[in-house]
Amino acid sequence: MIVNRITANAPTGGRISFARLDGTETLELAELHRRAGRLASALAELGIGPGDRIGILAANSLPWVLLDLAALWLGAETAGFEPGKFEPDQQLISRYGLRLLFTDRPTEAAGALPLAEVDRLVEKADAAPEPVVWEPGQVTTVKFTSGSTGEPKGLGATAASVDGSLRAVQDMFHHRPGDDLFVFLPLSLLQQRYWIYSALRHGHDVTVSTYEAAFATLRRARPTVVMGVPAFFETARRHIEARAARSGKPVGEQAVQLFGDRIRYLWTGSAPAAPATLRFFNEAGLPIFEGYGLNETCIVAKNHPGASREGSVGRVVPGKEVLLDADGVISVRSVHPVNDHYAYAAPGDSEKVFRPGGIVRTGDLGLIDQDGYLYILGRADDVIVLENGKKIVVRPIEERLTSGPAVAEAVLFCPQQTELVAVVRPTHYPPDEAAIADALADANAALGKDERIARAIVAREPFTVENGLLTSQFKPRRPQIRAAYAADLANPQEGIHAR
Amino acid sequence: MHAETETAARENLVLVLTSPVEPETIDPDADLAARYGLTSLNKVLFLTSLCDETGTDLSRFTEHDLARMTTLREVVDAVTPSTVEAV
Repeated sequence: MIVNRITANAPTGGRISFARLDGTETLELAELHRRAGRLASALAELGIGPGDRIGILAANSLPWVLLDLAALWLGAETAGFEPGKFEPDQQLISRYGLRLLFTDRPTEAAGALPLAEVDRLVEKADAAPEPVVWEPGQVTTVKFTSGSTGEPKGLGATAASVDGSLRAVQDMFHHRPGDDLFVFLPLSLLQQRYWIYSALRHGHDVTVSTYEAAFATLRRARPTVVMGVPAFFETARRHIEARAARSGKPVGEQAVQLFGDRIRYLWTGSAPAAPATLRFFNEAGLPIFEGYGLNETCIVAKNHPGASREGSVGRVVPGKEVLLDADGVISVRSVHPVNDHYAYAAPGDSEKVFRPGGIVRTGDLGLIDQDGYLYILGRADDVIVLENGKKIVVRPIEERLTSGPAVAEAVLFCPQQTELVAVVRPTHYPPDEAAIADALADANAALGKDERIARAIVAREPFTVENGLLTSQFKPRRPQIRAAYAADLANPQEGIHAR
Repeated sequence: MHAETETAARENLVLVLTSPVEPETIDPDADLAARYGLTSLNKVLFLTSLCDETGTDLSRFTEHDLARMTTLREVVDAVTPSTVEAV
């Protein structure tokens, strides 16, 4: 397995860079490997061994990467906690059974160590120990997924599932020396660490930045691949269009100005991308590939240079099988499942999602065309059933509202079973109510009678991760949005009414 | 505020807001996130463009510096070269 190879074999090429606003630190992957081995030795002296769990609550950085690799070296699990969503306190350490917690935030919790301690541990350590060999079913890391309510759910990822996904990605994208993969989403998301494992295995470069610094560091890094999410690419698109309009220069030139001149492709996932954004980048000469997967399944389908179809999320990857029930609800069977239960979740949550035989019920609606491309039509949970029995899939309706310039995000509800009401985030504040009314009218003109949006409630503030209205992967949290605007949704007099 | 930098800041800010906000109507002391919906991603784009136009080196700033710039005035004061301020 790749997780065993990357600790057992020192890489012979490739570099890793850490790009901040104020500068970039670069080291050879061989040096990264050497330091990870020394850190493993130091952690072993602190009593860390196979099966122990280390917590990491910090912004993306070299010590973050070293801790993750050292844990792999020792057969220890990692638990990556996103700063802002978790606090580095005693409760966290106890709840998740952490032997040690490394953090770049202030804390006085027993068992917590400052992230800066990693450098000292590396320096004082002896030679690296023999790396542990992972078995396929062993859990390498606990990843957290936003629950619709309350605490995030924790899910252990098996070594074989990590290996399967890495192999599937490599088969599609052939990352190789000369490539530089740009990573800026939190390393607490396991998939972002894949690109470091990939670099160690395949000898390409990888640049690690942060969400806040990404746009400033991109062109300095000159990556060949950018690992993003729709919100990031949509922001980039608006910026490029605005710069092109202001300067009179071609869109492609402005895209190069932002992303650098070496882009081979852009990766997007985690949430549905607007079709117009995908088309924009493809036409600007930056091929963008959308995929599909959940934390519980890892990558299920992916468009890629060899097989890509507009509107789809690509063909199902080897090792995965998509099963559609009579209503079109997607379940995924994996040869190497991520797991068969949550490690941390409310009672009953595991049973709702994990089925015998390595099957995960996703709750998404989809179809597969005759050539094997998967299309995601919406969330089964996002289907509104009207009092006349008609089922309304909300996503296409929301996309209509956001296709114009006035509405950035829209979430549709049916508070009284009689009318559809959207909570909308305008593209700017104070909101332009006339423009939002126009957007409603435009959307309604293209929708069927039952799909007509009666009114729009203007969100008082943007949906953000911080105010709990977006997940960490920038998906709207519908129950929370519904709760935040319950009074407005229930009052037929509120909001901007359709003409 | 330094006049040329302020003009460039206003013009570049409205570009990332992608809205019909007129550059001259932006309140220099308003919180850009709360009043104009400036996200952290757009803030970096705004700063990048502004630094390009004014010939300022963005690498002068840390992520922490950026977080402290919440109004147009704070951005302009931070980006204006110190040599200009001294004149």
